[in-house]
Amino acid sequence: MSEHEASHEQGASHEHDDVHNNYRLFLTVSVLLVIATAASYWTFTDLWPFGESKEIKRLWMMAVSCFKASLVIIFFMHLKWEANWKWILTVPASFMCVLLTLALVPDVGMRVFNGFSGYSRERLMHSAELPHDKAGQHHADVKHADAKHAKDGKDDQSQEVH
Amino acid sequence: MSDSHGSKFEYHPGLPLGLGKTFVWLFLSTEIMFFAGLIGTYIVLRFGSIAWPSPHDVHLAEHWGAINTAVLIASSLTVVLSLEAAKRNRTAEAKGWMLITFICGCVFMGVKGYEYSAKFEHGLYPQYPHGRIYEKADLLYSAAVRKRLNELKVDLGKSLASHSEAQEEINKSKEGSEKKTDLTKKQQQQLAKLKVAIGEDESRLAVVDEIQKKYLDPAELMVRDHPGDPQGRILLTQLAHAIYPPADLHAQPRMPEAQEQLEKDPAYEPGPLPGNVQVVPQKSPFRLVSHDDAAGDDHHASVHEGSEAAAHAGHAHGLNDEHPWLKLPMVIPGGNMWASTYFLLTGFHAIHVIVGLIAFFILMLYVLDKKRAGVIENVGLYWHFVDIVWIFLFPMLYLF
Repeated sequence: MSEHEASHEQGASHEHDDVHNNYRLFLTVSVLLVIATAASYWTFTDLWPFGESKEIKRLWMMAVSCFKASLVIIFFMHLKWEANWKWILTVPASFMCVLLTLALVPDVGMRVFNGFSGYSRERLMHSAELPHDKAGQHHADVKHADAKHAKDGKDDQSQEVH
Repeated sequence: MSDSHGSKFEYHPGLPLGLGKTFVWLFLSTEIMFFAGLIGTYIVLRFGSIAWPSPHDVHLAEHWGAINTAVLIASSLTVVLSLEAAKRNRTAEAKGWMLITFICGCVFMGVKGYEYSAKFEHGLYPQYPHGRIYEKADLLYSAAVRKRLNELKVDLGKSLASHSEAQEEINKSKEGSEKKTDLTKKQQQQLAKLKVAIGEDESRLAVVDEIQKKYLDPAELMVRDHPGDPQGRILLTQLAHAIYPPADLHAQPRMPEAQEQLEKDPAYEPGPLPGNVQVVPQKSPFRLVSHDDAAGDDHHASVHEGSEAAAHAGHAHGLNDEHPWLKLPMVIPGGNMWASTYFLLTGFHAIHVIVGLIAFFILMLYVLDKKRAGVIENVGLYWHFVDIVWIFLFPMLYLF
């Protein structure tokens, strides 16, 4: 066997090992992903040992989702093997994600707090109701909105007269 | 600027990757923000809402979501394997993996379509005219129920009249003929069919009348005659729960503490009921949907058969499930906002899946060798992103 042939054969077997390793890596990652999916589903079953607290369940599910997304990004999207450009594209976009969500909190997320100031009277009348312990507040707000609208109506009328 | 200047400077040629990959990543970074906007809005709306339906109230089955997640993960794996095979010029293998990816995508869409159809069947649409979701059991809701019952009465009345007319015509032809047993076999079959149809129309009309007399009339009369009495609200809630019982309440005890306390209160007296109507003798809105009560209630005995299992495994059965033709308006607190966000999020995700499927289909028309590895990688990147979006959507929509 010539030296060239030997090195060629060695190269081929090296490639074979590489392929084998890659396949094994990707298979391991997908098995991990399926296990992680089951870990999210776990919160829904009776086997979940950490009580009925929804906050804990949600925290767990989001942590699992982040773990799964990281696995997909790092291995399936090859970011593990990419150069530093990856940070330029992914980090600002991730910041924007958080900022976009936080930007919605004051005017959309908080509209049912602060005396339902973001709700129109019609919406308050026909909206779903607060849980029992806060229901009194809801009715008070409807009355408040009624009074406010009645006052506004009077103002409108007086403006029309003028 | 002359060419000689150019040779003095040595610039790095931008990012150390191909143009295709660069633009796929740029596109993905805009996509990240697009879905961040959607998911962020969902989170903010969901936690800023007064009420939000439980997954079972809106016919969401967790296992379908979990299965779809596994299918997408499998497809992500196969697209990577397809790329690895193409890099090594194993074209047949690459195409095989690509085909499996395509099939996985189709399975995902199939499950999604099945899920959508289950929601549409139950009138869970984001808005009118198809949507039948109401936020609370008030007079606006009872008016909508009455409107639907009146529509049904008119339709069933018309259907009954036309069937009776047809039956009469056949009978007339029978009288006109010399031999009274002269009816052809076809006519006899028609008569039998008409008899069944008339029976069905009549039984449906009876159901409509029963709902009106048992639930709707007492509630509206109570509110009209005793506007300050909580009994009116209770009867309205009973109407809503009979039509579409909240899944979670099945697990509640028969007599909630609040009701017990209310009855212990010496000042509490249920208002007098209107004299001319029969009222379901129940005080608590919770009792109507509880399993124990249903057993003692002939009308609901069949409605609630197997509902205990349903309460654990999914949606609880009400009149709308017992008689699907009723299509009565339903009370699902927070249901309208849920429908808007659910269909928007899953709809946009499904559009992305379809685009991916088209890309895979086109790729499969070519020989997937080393030259195509770059394109496969780019399409794969897009597909993995679609997978990541679903990884977040699954717990948020199905398990939260």
